[in-house]
Amino acid sequence: MENIRNFSIIAHIDHGKSTLADRILELTGAVSKRESKEQMLDSMDIERERGITIKLNAVCLKYTYKDKQYTLHLIDTPGHVDFSYEVSRSLAACEGAILVVDASQGIEAQTLANLYLAMENDLTIIPVINKIDLPGADIDKVKRELIDTLGFSDDEIILTSAKTGVGIDKLLEAIILRIKPPKGDKEKKLQALIFDSYFDPYRGVVILIRIVNGTLRVQDKIKLMKTGATYQVVDVGVMRPKEEKRQALEAGDVGFITAAIKDISDIKVGDTITLDGDECDFALSGYKPMKSMVFCGLFPVEANKFEDLREALNKLKLNDASLLFEPETSKALGFGFRCGFLGLLHMEIIEERIEREFGIDIIATSPSVIYEVHLTDESVIEVDSPSKLPDRQRIKMIKEPFIKTNIFTPSEYIGPIMDLCQEKRGIYSSMDYIDPTRVNIHYELPLSEIVYDFFDKLKSYTKGYASFDYELIGNRESDLVKMDILLNGDVVDALSTIVHKDFAYQRGKLIVENLKELIPRQLFEVPIQASIGNKVVARTDIKALRKDVLAKCYGGDITRKRKLLEKQKEGKKRMKRVGSIEIPQEAFLAVLSMDSGKENK
Amino acid sequence: MSKENKIKSMYIHIPFCDTICSYCDFCKMFYNEKLVDRYLDALKEEILENYRGEVLDTLYIGGGTPSSLSASQLKKLFCVLSSIKLNKECEFTMEVTIDSLTHEKIDILKENGVNRVSIGVQTINEKFFKFLNRKTDKDKLIEDINYLKSVQIDNINLDLMYALKDETIEDVLNDLDFFISLDVKHISTYSLILEENTMLYINKYSLIDSNIDRKMYDVICKKLKQNGYIHYEVSNFSKEGYLSKHNMTYWNNDRYYGFGLGSSGYINNIRYTNTRSINSYIHKKFRYLEEVIDSKSDMENEIMLNLRTARGLSKEKFCEKFNKDILALFDIKFLIDDNILIDDGKFLRVSDQYFYVLNNILVKIFANANC
Repeated sequence: MENIRNFSIIAHIDHGKSTLADRILELTGAVSKRESKEQMLDSMDIERERGITIKLNAVCLKYTYKDKQYTLHLIDTPGHVDFSYEVSRSLAACEGAILVVDASQGIEAQTLANLYLAMENDLTIIPVINKIDLPGADIDKVKRELIDTLGFSDDEIILTSAKTGVGIDKLLEAIILRIKPPKGDKEKKLQALIFDSYFDPYRGVVILIRIVNGTLRVQDKIKLMKTGATYQVVDVGVMRPKEEKRQALEAGDVGFITAAIKDISDIKVGDTITLDGDECDFALSGYKPMKSMVFCGLFPVEANKFEDLREALNKLKLNDASLLFEPETSKALGFGFRCGFLGLLHMEIIEERIEREFGIDIIATSPSVIYEVHLTDESVIEVDSPSKLPDRQRIKMIKEPFIKTNIFTPSEYIGPIMDLCQEKRGIYSSMDYIDPTRVNIHYELPLSEIVYDFFDKLKSYTKGYASFDYELIGNRESDLVKMDILLNGDVVDALSTIVHKDFAYQRGKLIVENLKELIPRQLFEVPIQASIGNKVVARTDIKALRKDVLAKCYGGDITRKRKLLEKQKEGKKRMKRVGSIEIPQEAFLAVLSMDSGKENK
Repeated sequence: MSKENKIKSMYIHIPFCDTICSYCDFCKMFYNEKLVDRYLDALKEEILENYRGEVLDTLYIGGGTPSSLSASQLKKLFCVLSSIKLNKECEFTMEVTIDSLTHEKIDILKENGVNRVSIGVQTINEKFFKFLNRKTDKDKLIEDINYLKSVQIDNINLDLMYALKDETIEDVLNDLDFFISLDVKHISTYSLILEENTMLYINKYSLIDSNIDRKMYDVICKKLKQNGYIHYEVSNFSKEGYLSKHNMTYWNNDRYYGFGLGSSGYINNIRYTNTRSINSYIHKKFRYLEEVIDSKSDMENEIMLNLRTARGLSKEKFCEKFNKDILALFDIKFLIDDNILIDDGKFLRVSDQYFYVLNNILVKIFANANC
């Protein structure tokens, strides 16, 4: 156990975390240069395409240092703020963390957030300045940021270029010398922490674990302490990064087990595995569950796919404990699920995975936060959907979640950012200068405003230079009302939103205009209205379709004519018929974009 | 062979033209004397190989410009067609242009049994001649029609094209008034469409606004109705008893032969299209592609084609063909409730004001299939 090191890599998005992991894999011989594809550990298509890491990945490496062989367990982590929960899970399985900072970007919002998470977990932190080969690299400046702002000392900082491989050997040396070997005793009773799991169609659930105490062998009968379920272990092993089977895993090891587990609800991330009949005295502390911040409705485009959607959500939840869902019925969209997510990116990723990995076309309704609604009968309820908001007469007041921002930006963009925050009902709190040209701006903002287009606007206002992170600071009273959207005089429940009263007219106008752009012409004229209670605050019309016919019939060439119709039919696939009106998927997110379509750059 | 599968119609394609219209995407090429002769030989071969001796109710010679053939070539064409058996009442149509038509050619048509001509006029408004790259001499048109009538070919169709470049409602009405004054039995109207591989497309022409297009259509329908024409299909109008039997074959989803370059036919359960390469064709490689029509495609064709007619789709015939009521196979009650489709018990048809958005309705019907 003296020769084991468990660590993870933490960084702001795009600072080169995955490339650094690739290089470490290569240098330790886990993969040859020939085998290595970009971002080895990002196994999902979405991860590679978007250049982000979403899921955890654990890999076991061998490295010889001064004639002694070491086993290194590298646990990759996501960089985005939405996934800090995943980060905290991986950190709990480690003794050390590599903090990667881009040599030209410097410290960003998530560098800070991830660093604090690592410090909470009492990890040894190795600061690394990466991408030192880039022409824009300003090593001295970033060093000073690390020293002045985060309190590292000059000689702790390691300089690398994951691209060229410079400094990776120094980094491996630091991992071995600075990170403590895991504590624990292989002779004690088995205690293993589940930090991730996924479903394999052939072997059932694959569980990723960190053995804290004891030894786990093939054929052992295990017990899951939270659910009480018992199973006989089929396989144990480590990822290198391909699976390598072992006879046993011992205290300090990070690896996987399978046990022909078909019932995915038996496996809870954060649970402790012990031996059935030889149980340990107490479960490990696990994780504090993350609270879902953003909710939306997910409905299958085809009504008969409801059960498939349930199955897909169940499978996704297996290794994504933060995903919540419960059945929901919409008059407009039929049967679906109300789902809770950690944030907007998390929501997008889940939607994309459902469509790609499970092949189900879905419609997502506009996201909502959780409102704390105080009723006139003195009771308090939580509302995560506009349709669940009680009658206005019954409401005494509504509180909504507020956040405090960390916005890291070059100082020249302070003005535009303050305008943006003001526009989003923000309250100025303070500003910290990191150096004369970079600043961390703190605002207090309603979370519901972040849920819309805040992040996109921030990026466009600052030419992509600002980075953003936030923490929740509690619920506050706001003057909120429910706004309904009527198509052809009928309320389409899936389009309702909760808005601030002062912004209702403006928002209503934008939503109806956006819908007009998004909904194609129908067979007859369709009025679109936004209303609060019975009062219409905005209206426009979708004009009737005037011409859509093929006049000629080419000397009886019917085949060609049908092909043209087939094409038109394809375009209709992603439409949902509500009454006689066909609404494209995107229209249900019309409330998201607060600019009218034309203004978009 | 069931009654339905029996072939009673034939289309013959003559791809040659003296000028190429700017909008034309049909299979066509410049007239060339020697090529015509070789083409007619190949056509004879194709008919011989495929025609099974059925007695036909309709025969249609289209193009291209069939009347661009010389008098002697026309005689040769009719000689090629002499093996085809025609019903006594057979509707025998040939497409002509006024530019290429002569009294001599009309006499040849008459002698060989042609009893209906379709004249591609499109417009008599000179300001569009250059844009369309075609012209029609107004006086010759009057004279030719008189001559056709004098030899008892009085079943005449005129093609009218509208929604041309910068065209106004007045322009359309002027053309229409003139067409009506010629007192013909049948008028087909087409709004200009933009097809790939046409001069207009290559010159990046963009069509006029669909609102104006629609207004023109509405004006045309109204005017022709006032003058005793029955609006029996999306773009076709005729005097009582003179609807185009040949085109009704298409709209009824019935079988027909198609011979000649680029032509299409429907035999047994196969819809085929011939090659558009003259070189392949004269080397007797006729077929280009064949599509086997399964029950589902047949069903969609039945709906798509029949709904083009004012009569609509026979529910009884549909049920006989597919063993189930159309309303059981397609969940389209909402279209009936909105008065977009009209169900009179026997026929299902598209309400008049929705004829011009038929594609949208068809796609809605197909998208709501329960089968």
